[in-house]
Amino acid sequence: MAMRELATGAANCDPSASSNPLGALANALVGSSSKTQERLKEIPTTTPAAERQFFAQPEDRLRAIPGSESDQSLLPVNAQGSEFIRRFHAAEHGAFEGAWNDIHQANVPSVPHDLRVGINPQLQPTLDGPPQRVLSGLLHSFVDSSRGGLPFRPAQLPLLGLSEGDKRCIRDRSTIMARHFFADKSEDFINAQVNTLLHSLDIDSDVRGKAPLPGRFHELEDYWNESQSMMKPGPHVGDAWASEFNQHRGKLGGPDAWVNSFEQQHGANGWASEFDQQYSQLATVDQMRGVNVPNLAAMEQTRMLAHTLAQNEDPKFQNSKFLQFLSKMSRGELIIDDNQVKPAPGDWASEFQQQHPAGPSWADEYLHRGPDQWANEFAAERETNGPLDDQWVNEFSKLHVNDWADEFGKQVAEGTLGDNTADDWANAYNEFWNEQKQQSDGSRGVYVFSDMNPYVGHPNPLKEGQDLFRRGLLSEAILALEAEVLKNPDNAEGWRLLGIAHAENDDDQQVIQLTAIAAMMRAQEADPTNLEVLLSLGVSHTNELEQAAALRYLHGWLRHHPKYRTLASSDMPESLYHADVSRLFNDAALMSPEDADVHIVLGVLYNLSREYDRAIASFQTALKLKPNDYSLWNKLGATQANSVQSADAILAYQKALDLKPNYVRAWANMGISYANQGLYEDSIRYYVRALSMNPKADNAWQYLRISLSSASRHDMLNACDSRNLDVLQKEFPL
Amino acid sequence: MASDSSATQLKSDALMEQMKLHLSTDAGKAVTKKIGLVYQINIAPKKIGFDEVVYIVDLKKGEVTKGPYEGGKPDATFSFKDDDFIKVATGKMNPQIAFMRGAMKIKGSLSAAQKFTPDIFPKPSKM
Repeated sequence: MAMRELATGAANCDPSASSNPLGALANALVGSSSKTQERLKEIPTTTPAAERQFFAQPEDRLRAIPGSESDQSLLPVNAQGSEFIRRFHAAEHGAFEGAWNDIHQANVPSVPHDLRVGINPQLQPTLDGPPQRVLSGLLHSFVDSSRGGLPFRPAQLPLLGLSEGDKRCIRDRSTIMARHFFADKSEDFINAQVNTLLHSLDIDSDVRGKAPLPGRFHELEDYWNESQSMMKPGPHVGDAWASEFNQHRGKLGGPDAWVNSFEQQHGANGWASEFDQQYSQLATVDQMRGVNVPNLAAMEQTRMLAHTLAQNEDPKFQNSKFLQFLSKMSRGELIIDDNQVKPAPGDWASEFQQQHPAGPSWADEYLHRGPDQWANEFAAERETNGPLDDQWVNEFSKLHVNDWADEFGKQVAEGTLGDNTADDWANAYNEFWNEQKQQSDGSRGVYVFSDMNPYVGHPNPLKEGQDLFRRGLLSEAILALEAEVLKNPDNAEGWRLLGIAHAENDDDQQVIQLTAIAAMMRAQEADPTNLEVLLSLGVSHTNELEQAAALRYLHGWLRHHPKYRTLASSDMPESLYHADVSRLFNDAALMSPEDADVHIVLGVLYNLSREYDRAIASFQTALKLKPNDYSLWNKLGATQANSVQSADAILAYQKALDLKPNYVRAWANMGISYANQGLYEDSIRYYVRALSMNPKADNAWQYLRISLSSASRHDMLNACDSRNLDVLQKEFPL
Repeated sequence: MASDSSATQLKSDALMEQMKLHLSTDAGKAVTKKIGLVYQINIAPKKIGFDEVVYIVDLKKGEVTKGPYEGGKPDATFSFKDDDFIKVATGKMNPQIAFMRGAMKIKGSLSAAQKFTPDIFPKPSKM
């Protein structure tokens, strides 16, 4: 039945080949065989005698399998199709199963399970309708008539009214099924058979056979190509397949028809959904590559380590987390193989062929040999070549083993590395994945709004936000202000205050992204408050060490200032030099020495050029004019801290906190100052305090982790990693 | 003036500058005493291996210098992109992850490399 479904493309057969693995595979095969078809035309006839010989061979082979109850040499033509399948099933009790077990037990690294969630096995319903019955009959005759190696002669058919999608399904499926049934026949014969069938159904054998790939596949293809070139000497594609096949077989006990297992375990849509998931994984990887280059070369290095370790016979090490981690890595390796091989059912086959033009495609090979033979061969190969693990390890020994890996090997051999090392690496690996997840969550360059904002729907969120901000409830204020800008996206004041609240909450990443929006809106309106936005952008970029951008915003401040804009040349210079900009501001300071803002910008500028003494002097001048500006005190403190005057810095921060007790940034800076003085226990308390006010301050979490390690408080690292503030606050009260 | 601009190109310069100051403090001296190794750090603006700026973080003497090491062979040499060095030094990315991603290349002694952790660098404070 499953076969008929395959052949007819049951109800939920998606016309788009990309979601249908078999169809897609068939596409690829048809596509590739069209050349063969051309060749076929040049050869006048195929020789039936030779085919008969071919056919006899698998018959003998099948009979030789224990448990096969058939000893008829040749069955009536009509019974052969079902007999073929029956034997296929029967074989599972015999040698075939043994061979499979061997494969199962092979230590093929398997793909982690988290990649496999969402596989939604579903059985396809059987279609019952007169056209289907007709079709089914035809297909049966297709199957049967060819048993004897005779060309298929279809009966005249009524009009079936097949849709384009149906036709494609039939073409795809019959093509692949033909390769099952006529495994022993030549490619040319198969093509001829299929073409006859398709012709009888009025299906163009090449209809959209080479339709352009859907857009999103291009990325995948690039990824594939790139990784292929990086993976030289090539990965064991075969191994990857073996493991994948293994997985897909899942709970099925025996090697039932390959067809069945595909359909039953996944259903056409199961594959599709799996693909989607894999694809999103891939997208993550791609995204990461855009940001950070998760180099496959690095994976190679890790595998070199695995090689080194494999040679170390110390049982302690063999059982260590590190080795477990490495095995995870090697699985990670396979994920990537898998991502290339598997998730693109539409592309896999053709790509495989492109990549390995010399050999026959996997499917062909599989079918030509017959599954049992394949399994046997596999087992035999394993015997000669040793376990798969060794194979890949050996392979990596061929790679350049750099001195680092050597060194590592020596260290391991000498036992100089404690167990901690292994744990560290294992942890690092976990972190790596977590980070990856995070990165896929927060897309760059877009302001990320909080979920579950209680202020959405508030009648006047701006006023509420301003109130909260004044009362120092920064995280709450941010929510209210987010509600405001969601309600009134054109409200520049909402955006500006939101930006400032984020800055005070020690979250510059957000500031850069969001105040930029506000600044753009403001710039159009040429509103004086624009200056504040420009200044805070300048400060945020300075904090993030984005020097060129910072300089641009600070220069922009001058250019837009009603009083000082005359100082700046009317046209924007192509590139800004720090010395030029600070000269302009010094001129401005001479023009109006009472303007605190000019001194503040100067202070920021000197921070940029790391002229800390001058920066401190500028901020101190500004503080004389604006003694109650808490953010100014913080700027002074930060400058002092960066020029290693930590004791002074702490005094300045204290001033800022006196003026604004919930100033998260100042609390975090306090922590930094203590940490930079080596007073880790103290720094921890301040970080925790800052985090209790803004649990989203990522920087503070990172610094807290460093301080915990430095203070040898490894017992608290878990709480830090899981961001468990309750535990931390209890342990480190301020 | 052009030199001024190119000198301010790397974010890592700011951190190295701070490191230089930091090593003169008590905490910095403690780091020197604890590590006692010489690291060479190659920082590339965009791509590892291209236009690298070489820093020597000498945690034997407690110095940071620009340019190749003259006292022999450093214990370990790291290569980073500018952004990645900042991430590692500020604890945003841990060195193992950086290594796995290929964001950090290592040459030399592994035991020396293992001591290269974010806590040896001072943290920049924010205005």
